[in-house]
Amino acid sequence: MSPRDPRPDADGLGRRRFLKTATAASLSLALAPLRSAYGQAAAGSPPEDAINVALVGLGAQGRVLMDAMLKIPGVRFVAVCDIWPYARTYGQRYLKKNGFEVRAYENHQDMLEKEKDVQAVIVASPDFWHAPITNDCLRSGHHVYCEKMMSNTIDGAKSMVRTMKETGKLLQIGHQRRSNPRYLVARNHLLKEAHLLGRITAANGQWNRAVSADLGWPNHTAMSTELLARYGYADMHQFRNWRWFKKYGGGPLSDLGAHQIDIFNWFFDTTPSTVIGSGGRDYYEGHEWLDNAMVIYEYKLPEGMARAFYQVQTTTSAGGGYFEQFMGTEGTLRMSENPKYSVINREAAAPPWDNWVSRHYLAPLKAPAKSDDDASSADDKVDARETAELAGYYLPVVLTKAIHQPHLENFFNAVRGKGTLNCPADEAFKSEMAVFKAIEAVESRTLVTCQPSDFTV
Amino acid sequence: MTETQSTPIDRGPTMAVLVLRAWLGVRAILTGVEKFADTRTLQVPLLDAAGKPDSSGAVVEVTQKFYSLHSYHAIPDSMKDKFALEPLLPTFLTTPYYAVLGWALIALGIAVLVGLWTRASLFLMGLLYVSLTVGLILIKQDAGVAWLAIHVALVAMALSLSKHNRLTLTRS
Repeated sequence: MSPRDPRPDADGLGRRRFLKTATAASLSLALAPLRSAYGQAAAGSPPEDAINVALVGLGAQGRVLMDAMLKIPGVRFVAVCDIWPYARTYGQRYLKKNGFEVRAYENHQDMLEKEKDVQAVIVASPDFWHAPITNDCLRSGHHVYCEKMMSNTIDGAKSMVRTMKETGKLLQIGHQRRSNPRYLVARNHLLKEAHLLGRITAANGQWNRAVSADLGWPNHTAMSTELLARYGYADMHQFRNWRWFKKYGGGPLSDLGAHQIDIFNWFFDTTPSTVIGSGGRDYYEGHEWLDNAMVIYEYKLPEGMARAFYQVQTTTSAGGGYFEQFMGTEGTLRMSENPKYSVINREAAAPPWDNWVSRHYLAPLKAPAKSDDDASSADDKVDARETAELAGYYLPVVLTKAIHQPHLENFFNAVRGKGTLNCPADEAFKSEMAVFKAIEAVESRTLVTCQPSDFTV
Repeated sequence: MTETQSTPIDRGPTMAVLVLRAWLGVRAILTGVEKFADTRTLQVPLLDAAGKPDSSGAVVEVTQKFYSLHSYHAIPDSMKDKFALEPLLPTFLTTPYYAVLGWALIALGIAVLVGLWTRASLFLMGLLYVSLTVGLILIKQDAGVAWLAIHVALVAMALSLSKHNRLTLTRS
């Protein structure tokens, strides 16, 4: 058995030998139940379906993706890459515990030069490295899954789309909601097929995140100034907190907002025509990017104008959570990756949704029980102009996997030639351009107009 | 030659008692059976209009009702908690009462429905409803008290018509 291939040799496996192996495997699993989800998952996966994968970037997001990929049958880790020896060693050891002996690299070009059997590269580096790494990987003949934002610059993002088109390789961008079955059912069936909301005239989204201290690092793991400078970082603090600096990332509108602004575009099936905004560095000292922002987009839909308000706040409590809400003449849909924030309300005068309930696309929310001495009733209204109470529903669709897993599975299936990407780079670029426009509006404090040509490469 | 003239038989009271027995029997049986009901959540593939798994691969949670002896609950927990605070409802009385309540409703419902010692069964059913009323009076659930009073009135009506009772397994 190759140290890089943890799967048992299936050739000529007789029943007796199988039983012996299975017994040994059972004992092994009993002693180390978490070791190699791959070993179990890949056992049912034919060797020709296995994909050799390299992971570039072993920070927080890279580790989330790594955990999700460990649950996907047929994913075979062969290499990891990170400039920080501390993260690199962590990734190498973590994968070894899960059954993969991987080679570790500081430099992605070195990795591409030496790893000849890699088929797909997962890029989870800081944003300003996305374009150089992705373009190099695509040109080396690899398919790439790159985290969003595609880049911290418009030119960088455009270059990725161009390289994808030139090389013919797959480039999936990590807007993972596009593969989440809850979002797919809500968009494709409840909105597009059933038109449950009627004419949509407004949307709003938010991500409120509680204040948090800057990230630190164990002293003994600090990189030298020379090493940091080689990869474009000013110092260790900026390396660890790159999201707050313009040289490396796009700030909260990019980090958090990109996911949700992508949902505006995707659900509306178009790009915005204008955006106006406000925001600033209100709280944190030593950051370059704004820490709060509120923006309003205008979308010209076939049925008329719709406006979408978005706010991202990192200086408040996390009150209200994070969600994307679409409001129409007949109902309101609030979506979130966290099901507890999701709800669908039907206007009293809207046509019944019973057909969708009976088919399990919706389920009625249970009304809170009222005690006998609860005098509240229709008189609950505090204003005569208040609309009648709405019927509440929830999406009974459940995601039984890690939150990024379906999007990664979509990527790997496309690599195998089984299906198409849910978020190829040219599609993702439209959403990311909307984010760049919002940042421009906030920083210039003006109404920014968007042309259709802005969203194409 | 004498000519016998038959008096028309009034079958109304008989039909009335039969209807009352049917209603009271079904009501008690199903109330008892429901005490063995529970729900479980299943995850099943979401099906499209053609009955095929949705292209998104979505899985939905569907709530399914089922019955089992293990699921037995005499009364809702919220109500049980309220009764536990009542000094006139000591545990040594309520515990055996909860244990037999569901079975008693089913047994008495069957007895009334099929006419098994009908009068005695109706009387015991009436007492059972009175006993339930006691708890509701103590926790001041007046709507429930009135609801049970309707049941008691129907039992009393059935008893008052018992001499017209027919279609029974036993004579009494």
